[in-house]
Amino acid sequence: MSVRLGRRDALITLASSFAALAGAGCARGGKDGEASLWFAYGGTNREVLLSLVNRFNAEQSTYRIKAIYQGDYFEALAKLRTAIAARAAPALTHVVGEVVPYLAQAGTLLPIDETNHVTGDVVPALGQTGCFVRGSERPIVCAPFNRSTPIAYYNRALFDELGLRPPTTWSELESVARAATLRSSDGTVTRHGFACPIDWWFWVALVGQAGGTVVEDDGTPSLGGEAGVRALEFWQRLVHEERTMKPPPGRDYNAWQATNNDFLAGRVAMIWTSTAFLKYLETNAKFPVGAAPLPADVRRSVPTGGTMFVIPAASSEPERPAARAFLQWMMQPRQANEWATRTGYLPVSQKGLAELEASGYYREHPNDRVALDQLKDAFAWPWAPSLFRIQREAVQPRLEEAVLARRDARATLDEARRAAGEP
Amino acid sequence: MKPKRPLDPYLFLAPTALVLGLFFFWPLALVFKNSLYRWDMLTPPEWVGAANYGQILASGELWGTIGRTLSYSVVVVVLSLGLGLGLALALDRPGKLYAFVRGAVFSAYVVSWVAVALLWMWILDADGGLLSTLCRAVGITPKNWLGDPAVALYTLAAVSVWKITGYSMVIFLAGLQDIPRSLHEAAALDGAGPFSRFLHVTWPMLRPSASFVGTTSLILSFQAFDVVRVMTQGGPVKSTTVFVYAIYEHVFVNLRVGRASAMTVAFFVLLLGLTALQLLSWRLGKPGARRA
Repeated sequence: MSVRLGRRDALITLASSFAALAGAGCARGGKDGEASLWFAYGGTNREVLLSLVNRFNAEQSTYRIKAIYQGDYFEALAKLRTAIAARAAPALTHVVGEVVPYLAQAGTLLPIDETNHVTGDVVPALGQTGCFVRGSERPIVCAPFNRSTPIAYYNRALFDELGLRPPTTWSELESVARAATLRSSDGTVTRHGFACPIDWWFWVALVGQAGGTVVEDDGTPSLGGEAGVRALEFWQRLVHEERTMKPPPGRDYNAWQATNNDFLAGRVAMIWTSTAFLKYLETNAKFPVGAAPLPADVRRSVPTGGTMFVIPAASSEPERPAARAFLQWMMQPRQANEWATRTGYLPVSQKGLAELEASGYYREHPNDRVALDQLKDAFAWPWAPSLFRIQREAVQPRLEEAVLARRDARATLDEARRAAGEP
Repeated sequence: MKPKRPLDPYLFLAPTALVLGLFFFWPLALVFKNSLYRWDMLTPPEWVGAANYGQILASGELWGTIGRTLSYSVVVVVLSLGLGLGLALALDRPGKLYAFVRGAVFSAYVVSWVAVALLWMWILDADGGLLSTLCRAVGITPKNWLGDPAVALYTLAAVSVWKITGYSMVIFLAGLQDIPRSLHEAAALDGAGPFSRFLHVTWPMLRPSASFVGTTSLILSFQAFDVVRVMTQGGPVKSTTVFVYAIYEHVFVNLRVGRASAMTVAFFVLLLGLTALQLLSWRLGKPGARRA
């Protein structure tokens, strides 16, 4: 029997096919025991994470993790928010610590550790209980993944040649940066003594060192008061008057990468950046890399940074057991230590840390010890849902304006405080 | 007379109306609605009336963004038009070499914006970039092309011009090849020199092409995003935060859908105004328009 299709039939068939395809595209949930993990690393850290995921998948056959790259932290967060709104979130992902209170208050995160099996062994300063003020008084919604503090990296060969030591105070930082800065005969700087991304995280460190607090425990954005002004003016002085600090071009992680590139190319003698780049810098530098704690002004202070694992409430329920199994596996000493020693991030397992100490790892790798030692100077972030917005909207863009365009530090922070107070 | 099948016109229109409605009018209506709310996509929206519009006006953000976007657009449109025309005039000749050069100039247009942006980031690096190295070699102090707030926007505009000039050139080449040779010959016989022939023969005949190139490059310049996202992320000091990037920042960085929607509505009104002006100038420029 021959069948003749009219134009209308063809259109109906075509429309049905599109509908079926769209339906298939929207269908959620993977195979049994499979879960998606959205991650936000490139380079070495990405390779290490993928090797851990592969090992997890190979060591057991019940669960399978699909790791999906989503850009840098902020790109990944933007995608996560959209996915949450569309009820299509991954079963597991990681987000910057500052955004956890906001996501938790919005009811978008699931408790991850009702039985204390996952985070019971976590180094307190790095998990929710110690990283946030009164973090133990609420359900645990995050587990530490890649946790870090800012540290100073210096070109050890150059420092030895110039007879310099890593600075321990702001005034030493000024003099070391001056001594390491190289100028040509026409006054052009050919090597800066110091560089640091003009970024919230490093400014928070400076504010703490100057004796201030950026956001009070109740969420009030004090922005450090006088200490905030002093911190900003310190950067302005190094960039414009001393001309010993190079503000890198670009924003966010582009600026961080530019800072690393300048250091590796010998265009800068000393930088501040995350301990996360330790292995990357050690591997890629053509000179011995030294690491040192950040200097003090009236006190030592560093923020913790990096990201926390979270399980979005908008994730597919069948995927959650696999996500929880992987999360628990990642918190175990072996995996926590592998992640830390291959990247430079802090080891998050107390047992793992004790193993590293006992094995003499830190004697062999003194640079790895710097961030760990700095944890005693780390402060707890307030559990303030507005924290992330204060960071991204009120402060971050204005820091750049104050330093690059040399806007009055006090006026800048007054304006930032007003912006931070906006609903 | 009663039509036999009165519904047929509507059925024919339906697919277009459906696509336009779904992908244009419905999102537009949603944007208008969202601009009246405070919303972060995660918590329930809160009615704020015109507060989002008040905020973008009072903070000066709207005018600053319009100023930056227009500055960028003017540079992109004028230079891509001028360079495209110049290249078309220079390369409208037979021969393999000219064909190769035409292909080479146009090739930039088919490369992705991200690839172009990455290439130019390498060229424009203030320390080790090709341009800065060349500047130093000839004794010129190089600028911080992407790091200086006074320069960065024009640097991005120059990169965009580099990318889209090949397209303008191709349109102008097509226009040039449509001009009958007899017109040039007649003008030459009347004693017109090359400049006079360009002014009185070539340019009037190329006006439709110029109008098309101007419109498309204007649209393209207003849509600038990739090049900003990759090369400057809106900085330094907001100097390259053009409209689409500002909208992106509000939604995806600052978690403010309402404010982003207000910016989108303002952008829509601006584009509507510019389109109306363009239509008006086009109608006035038509022969006989002044008599009407």
